Amino acid sequence: MTNREAEQRLRDEAKSLLESAKVDYIVGFADGSLKFHTTPLITRNKDDVDHLVINPFMASNLAKFLTELEGRVGIVAKGCDSRSIVSLVQDNKVSREKVVIVGIPCRGMINLSKIEQLAGKESDEIDDITRQGDKVVVKLDGSEKEIPVKEVLFDHCLACELPTPKEYDLLIDEPIPATPDEEASQAKINKLEELSHHERWRFWQNEFSRCIRCYACRNVCPACYCQRCFVEEAEPQWILSIPKWQDNLIFQIIRNIHLAGRCTDCGECERACPVNIPLRSLSKEMYDLVGELFGFKSGMEIDAAPLLTHYELEEAEDFFR
Amino acid sequence: MAQDSEWEPKLVGFLCRWCSYAGADLAGTSRKKYPANIGIIKVPCSGRVDPLFILKALRLGFDGVLVSGCHPGECHYQTGNYRARRKIALTKKFLEYMGIDPRRLQASWISASEGGKFTEVTTQVTKELKEAGPNELFADDK
Ligand code: SF4
Ligand code: SF4
Ligand code: FES
Repeated sequence: MTNREAEQRLRDEAKSLLESAKVDYIVGFADGSLKFHTTPLITRNKDDVDHLVINPFMASNLAKFLTELEGRVGIVAKGCDSRSIVSLVQDNKVSREKVVIVGIPCRGMINLSKIEQLAGKESDEIDDITRQGDKVVVKLDGSEKEIPVKEVLFDHCLACELPTPKEYDLLIDEPIPATPDEEASQAKINKLEELSHHERWRFWQNEFSRCIRCYACRNVCPACYCQRCFVEEAEPQWILSIPKWQDNLIFQIIRNIHLAGRCTDCGECERACPVNIPLRSLSKEMYDLVGELFGFKSGMEIDAAPLLTHYELEEAEDFFR
Repeated sequence: MAQDSEWEPKLVGFLCRWCSYAGADLAGTSRKKYPANIGIIKVPCSGRVDPLFILKALRLGFDGVLVSGCHPGECHYQTGNYRARRKIALTKKFLEYMGIDPRRLQASWISASEGGKFTEVTTQVTKELKEAGPNELFADDK
């Protein structure tokens, strides 16, 4: 199926879901106001579905909206988004009957910042970016530049274990097999692991001195759905509300612990951070720890018990005296 | 790390009231000598220990934290310690990745009758914290 055909099929399916009143809302992607950006499209109007797009720039994880919308929702989901949805179902935050998962097999999302860096230009100066198989062709100042796709995908896409949703109601195109490249995806984390404890702590201290506590990371995360976050508690006040690095770090450490077994490595937190703190180097580490210690992968098996509500009689004993 | 021989680590122990807390009590009533470095906070179950307590203690400048509960299979609430085990294991590993010396977070299973074990564990943990040196994790750079 060509991309255009896939897009048309998506629009047709979305329209019929609305017309048949199987859903109250359609949540998907539309072109954004900036070049090479998409924006979430949330609509009850069947005429809007013609704005739905499928392209390599739909990085947002729309699962976030499921905890905010009332009623039945038809949602466009890449592999990672579908894992977040499954995780929300496991947490009893979303009821499976109320969602129609419209699965989109995904070849990875393009990280514009990586392209900008390689091209040495801001994205609004670039004429076109197209994906052709394993290459991305960037049109710029009348010339074309080919870049291997692996150099411009998001780090989390390089490690993707589920490009095609496993849990879905409709699948728009042929499934795409997973080809995770852990090594490439893990480069930043591996470097950190080579440092001493002291150096690592200094690294994070330095990174979180920039944090302005805007909470974009938390607000964009589908797994961060608490009505009241611990950072807002007043009695006791766990951390100061002004962004001191010490408290910024505690906020982020606890956030990641809360996300154990629910973070699906969708990469949204890192993408949202306005001061470019490498947040995925935290969330992916927790994701891996959960796998290593408990063999658990968030959002993979809809029948699995949530990680922290479950236990095995014998596990992780070596931490205890 | 510069430290004089006088320096003594400060440690917080979150002890389950049904077992480890009673174990500490037993150590006291049977006049066993355990290090005075530990300040004890009684919790209803090891499962009550929120990783936030651990971070808060370190943020306040304590050199280490000990979480102690009933042996597996003996939790008063059946499963609290199993759940604690998952949380603590993840917390310990994650804190280490952040750059926190793993000796600063310790955990044990101590029953109400194990006054001796309580003495051993606190002695050992205190020794390790002494080796680890003062906690300057959250200190502002001078
Ligand atoms: S998005 Fe970045 S700056 Fe904002 S609170 Fe999160 S880490 Fe801090
Ligand atoms: S912590 Fe970050 S990567 Fe993990 S689910 Fe939340 S937004 Fe996605
Ligand atoms: S009651 Fe002691 S650990 Fe649960």
